[in-house]
Amino acid sequence: MIRRESILGKLGGMHWFLLLTIVAIAVFGTAVLFSSASSAHDMQTGMAVLDARYAVEHAARFGVMMLVAVTIALAPLRLWAGLAFPAYFVGVAMLFGVEFAGVVVNGAERWLQLGPVQLQPSEFMKLAVPLALARYYHQMFQGQNNARYWVHLPALAIVLIPVALVLRQPDLGTALMIMGTGLAVIFFAGISLRIVAGVLVLVAIAAPLAFYFALHDYQRQRVLTLFNPEADLLGAGYQLNQAQIAVGSGGLAGKGFMEGAQKELDYIPEQHTDFIFTIIAEEFGFAGSVAVLIAWGVALYQGMTIASKSGSAFGGLAAAGFVSTLALYVFINIGMVIGLLPVVGIPLPLISYGGTVMLTVMVGFGLLMSVHLNRDNNIALRGII
Amino acid sequence: MSRDWKNRSSFLSRRNIFLGGGAVAWGALTVKLAELQLFRSEEFETKATENRIRLDPAPPHRGTVYDRAGRILAGNKRNFYVTLNPEEISNASLNVADVVKQLSRVLPVSEARQRSILQDAQSQERFLDIMVADDLTWEDFSRINVMAPELGGVTAEVGELRSYPYYAAFYHTVGYVQKANDKDVLRKIEEDLKAIGQTPDTADGQKRARIIRRLYKHPQMRVGKQGVEAFAETALTGEPGKTRVLVDAAGRVIDRLASEDVSGRPGSDIVLTIDAELQNYAIQRFGVEAGSATVIDVKTGEVLVMMSTPAPDPNAFVSGISQTAYTALLEDERNPLYHKAYDGTYPPGSTFKIVVAAAALESGKMSPEDRIHCSGRAWFYNRYYHCWKPEGHGWVNLHTGMQKSCDCYFYAAAQRTGIEKIAEVAKRFGLGHRYDLGLTGGKAGSVPNDAWKRAVMKEKWYDGDTISAGIGQGYVTASPFQLAVMCARIAGGPDTPAPRLVAHGVAVPGSMASDMGEFQPRSLDLVRAGMFAVTSEPGGTAIRYGEVDAEGLLPPPYTNARMSGKSGSAQVRVIAMSERNAKGEAIKNDKLPWRLRDHALFVAYAPADNPRYACAVVVEHGGSGSSVAAPFARDILAATLKADPGARPAFTPKAEVATLPNETEPT
Repeated sequence: MIRRESILGKLGGMHWFLLLTIVAIAVFGTAVLFSSASSAHDMQTGMAVLDARYAVEHAARFGVMMLVAVTIALAPLRLWAGLAFPAYFVGVAMLFGVEFAGVVVNGAERWLQLGPVQLQPSEFMKLAVPLALARYYHQMFQGQNNARYWVHLPALAIVLIPVALVLRQPDLGTALMIMGTGLAVIFFAGISLRIVAGVLVLVAIAAPLAFYFALHDYQRQRVLTLFNPEADLLGAGYQLNQAQIAVGSGGLAGKGFMEGAQKELDYIPEQHTDFIFTIIAEEFGFAGSVAVLIAWGVALYQGMTIASKSGSAFGGLAAAGFVSTLALYVFINIGMVIGLLPVVGIPLPLISYGGTVMLTVMVGFGLLMSVHLNRDNNIALRGII
Repeated sequence: MSRDWKNRSSFLSRRNIFLGGGAVAWGALTVKLAELQLFRSEEFETKATENRIRLDPAPPHRGTVYDRAGRILAGNKRNFYVTLNPEEISNASLNVADVVKQLSRVLPVSEARQRSILQDAQSQERFLDIMVADDLTWEDFSRINVMAPELGGVTAEVGELRSYPYYAAFYHTVGYVQKANDKDVLRKIEEDLKAIGQTPDTADGQKRARIIRRLYKHPQMRVGKQGVEAFAETALTGEPGKTRVLVDAAGRVIDRLASEDVSGRPGSDIVLTIDAELQNYAIQRFGVEAGSATVIDVKTGEVLVMMSTPAPDPNAFVSGISQTAYTALLEDERNPLYHKAYDGTYPPGSTFKIVVAAAALESGKMSPEDRIHCSGRAWFYNRYYHCWKPEGHGWVNLHTGMQKSCDCYFYAAAQRTGIEKIAEVAKRFGLGHRYDLGLTGGKAGSVPNDAWKRAVMKEKWYDGDTISAGIGQGYVTASPFQLAVMCARIAGGPDTPAPRLVAHGVAVPGSMASDMGEFQPRSLDLVRAGMFAVTSEPGGTAIRYGEVDAEGLLPPPYTNARMSGKSGSAQVRVIAMSERNAKGEAIKNDKLPWRLRDHALFVAYAPADNPRYACAVVVEHGGSGSSVAAPFARDILAATLKADPGARPAFTPKAEVATLPNETEPT
C-alpha cells in the first residue's frame, strides 16, 4: 500500500480533474499561438504558411513550469507558509529597489536588474501578497483574534504598501490586480459585509473623481474609448475597434483553425500576447469563446472547492486568493478584448504568449495543489517563519 | 478545530458570494460575446471586408483641349517613367542611396532630385513608390528595363503625361498642369464634397476625401493650375476609376484584385474657339516685343486669338520646374508669367476716344459739326492740359478730332458730356467688368465715375478728372481683351454677340453684365467714320497701315479690304512740367529706358465697310500706338481675313459620343 505522505501517494492524490483542465487550456493555448503565426491560405501565395515559433516556446514553457508546479505541490504546505512573510518582505524590498534603481521599459519602471537577471517584483507580489495575508489571518484565527475590530487593519497595510509602490512605477493594471487579490483575501477572511458594502459605495463615489483627477490622459482615453470605440478609429479606439471586428466577424462557429483573416494583415497589435482572445473568437466563433469561458469557469470552481476543503486557514485563504487572481486575469483580459472593460495590459493566463504570467500562474497552481494535498491537516504557525 | 477557521470567517458563505459574483461576471462576458458574435456578426463581417479591401483610385484619362480646327492645344503623350520602392530595395539587401546613384548615371536625375528622393525614402512609409524620373526617352526607358532586375525595387512603367504641342503659345490661355500640392488637394476635396452634398465630418465625406487624397498622390495625376486647364479641371479630369486592392493594417498593398477593377469616366474634351495657327502667327509677328493681341469674330463673338508674349513653355511645368528657372521667370521685366491680354490692365489712352465720342454724340451735348480750336494745349480748371501735338491741330470737329486723335477736342467733349454719361457708355461698350470665358484670372479694369471714386479712392470726383478721362488717362483702365470687345461692339453694333472662348466641352457661366443697348442711328456710324479716317484719310494717325489687302489677293468679300481703327499710347509715368521742353514737347520715347516708355495700343476691325474681325493689340513699352501697334494689328487682321476661321464652325470631337462602352452614366 502506498502511503499518502509518500511522493507517489501525493502524486496519486493530486487534483487530477483540475490538472487536466489546466493542461487542456494550455494545449488549446498552444494551438491558438500556432495559428497566430500561421495561415491556412497565405494572402499572397494561397499556400499554407506554418509557423510554430510561439507555439513551441509556449508548450516548452508550460512543460517546464508544470514540473515546477508539481514540485511545489509535493513540498509540505508548512514550507510555503514559512516562506510567506519572508517572500513578502523581499518583494516589498525589491519594489523599493525598483523605485530607486529600476530599469525603465516603455516609460514605466517595472524591472529590477540583479546582475544578469531582470526581475519584475510587481508580478511576484501577485502571489506574495495573498500568501502573506493568508499567513497573517491564519495566526489571527489561531490566537482567536479574528473578531477584534482592528484585525483587518494590518491586513489592509499588507495590501496597500505594495499597491502604492507599484502605482508609482506606474503600472495601474498590476496595482489593481494586487489590490483585487488582497481585498479578496480580506473578504474571504470574514470582514463584515457592512464594511464591504460601505467600501463599494465609496468606490462608486470615488471612481468618477479618480477618473478625472488621478488617471493619466492615456488611461482616461482608454476608458472613454470603451463607450465610443468609433470616435477615434486611428488613435485610441483603433485596437479596440479592430479587436471587435475580429471577434464579431467570427460569428457563431468561427472561420476555422488558421483561417482568421484579420490576424494575417497585422490589424491587431499585441495579438499573440494580450489580444490572443481575438484569434480564438475569430477562428472558433461564439462556440469556441464560450468554451474557453466554461473551461476557465470549471478550473476556477475546482480551485474554490480546494480552498473550501482546506483544513488550515492559511491554505484556504491562499487558495481563495490565488483563485481570485486568476479570475481577475481572465475576466479583465477577455472583458477588455471584447470592449467591456478599458484596455489594460493584462494577458490571458495559459493562452497568451509570455513567460512572466506563465510563471506566476503555474507557481500559483503548484500552491493550490499543495493546499489540496494538505487539506486534512491544520498547521500551527508562530512568529514570522 | 480543523473546520473552525471557516466558521470564524464564514468562508463558505463568502465562497458562495464569490461564485455568484463570478457567475455574474462570466454572464456579462457571455452576453457581450453574444452581442458581438451572434447579433452583430454581419456588421462586423462587412467591416472586416472593408478593412482589407481598399478602393484605390486610378487616374482617369485627362480630356484633350482642341482649337477650333481640331488641333491639339493640350493633349496626353506616352510617358515612360521610373519609380523605386524603398522596401523592396532593402529586401534585396541594397541601399536606396546606392540605387539612386546608379540610376543617376543612366538617367537625367539632378542632384536636387536625388536629395528629395532620399528624403522621401526617409520620411514616408517605406512601401510607397517614389518617382525617380519621368518623361524619359525610349532609350533611357529600355536601358532601365535591362538594369531593373539587378536593382531590386526599381520599376520602369508607361503612363500618360500632359503635353502642349504649341509650347509657349498657349501658356496663358490654356494654362498648364502640375502635381497637386496640399492646397490643391484641400480645394479639390472641398469642391468635390460640395458637389456631392457631403461635409468632411460625415463618414462618407471622409471616405471621399481619402480617395481624393490618394488619387492626387498617384505619380500620373496632375491638376490644372491656370487657364482653361484650371477652370475646366473637373470636366477635364473625369471620374477616377477604382482598383480593388487587398491591404494590410499598414496600408501595404498585398494583392490587386484585377477582376474587380471599375473603370472610371475619362475627362471631357474641350474645344476652344481659338485658331492656333493664327495665334502662332500673332506671336511670331510680335517678335521680341512684349505684349498681347486679341482677335474676336464680330459676327459670332468667338475669340480667335488671345495671346500674351513672351511666355514660358508649359511643358516645363508638368514634371515640375526648378526653383531657379521659376525665379528667373518671376523676375523677368517682360512678365512672361502674366496673361497680359486678360489679366493686364492698362490706361486705354486714345483708344478710349471711341467711347468718349459715342458718349458725346449720345448725350447730345456735342453735335458732329461742333468745332473746337486746338492750340496744343487747353485751359481747364486752373491748369493746362496738353495735346500730344504741341503746335496744335487748329479747328477740329468730331471726325477730324478722331482722325488726328486731337486731345484738346476730347478734353472739351468730355467736359461737355460729363463723366457719368461717359462711364455709362464705356460699360455699354464692355469695359469695367470681368468676362467669364472659361479660364482662370481675368480683370475687370475700372470705369470711373463719382461713385466709383468715392468707393475706391475715398475721394470725390474733381472736374479735372473728367478731362483726363476724356483721353483715356487718369483712372480709366481696361484689359486688352476688353478693348477688343469694345472694338467688336463699335464694329458690330448693338447685335454683337457676347465674346466666348469655349466652343464645346465645358459650361461657362454667361456673365454678360453689360448689354450694349440701343444707340441713336447716326452715333455709331459717325464714330466708325472717324475710325476709318484714322487709317484711310490723309492726316489720319495710322494712314500708312489702312490697307489690309494691298495686293488684292484675298477672295471676295475681302478683296482690297481696309481696316478702321484707333491708336492709343498709354503713359506709364506722369509727365511733369519740368520734363517738357520750351515747345511743350515731352521727352521722346526712344530716349527713355524700356520700362518707362509708353504702351503702344491699337484697336481695329476689318473689313472697314462690313466688319467681321475686331482686334486689340497692346505692345508693352512699345512707344507710339500708331506707328508700333498699328502695323501689328494690320498684319494680324490680314492673316485673319486670309484664314477666315469664322467661315467654318468649330470642330466637334468624336470622343464626345463614344466615351466608354459601358459603366458610365448617360450624361
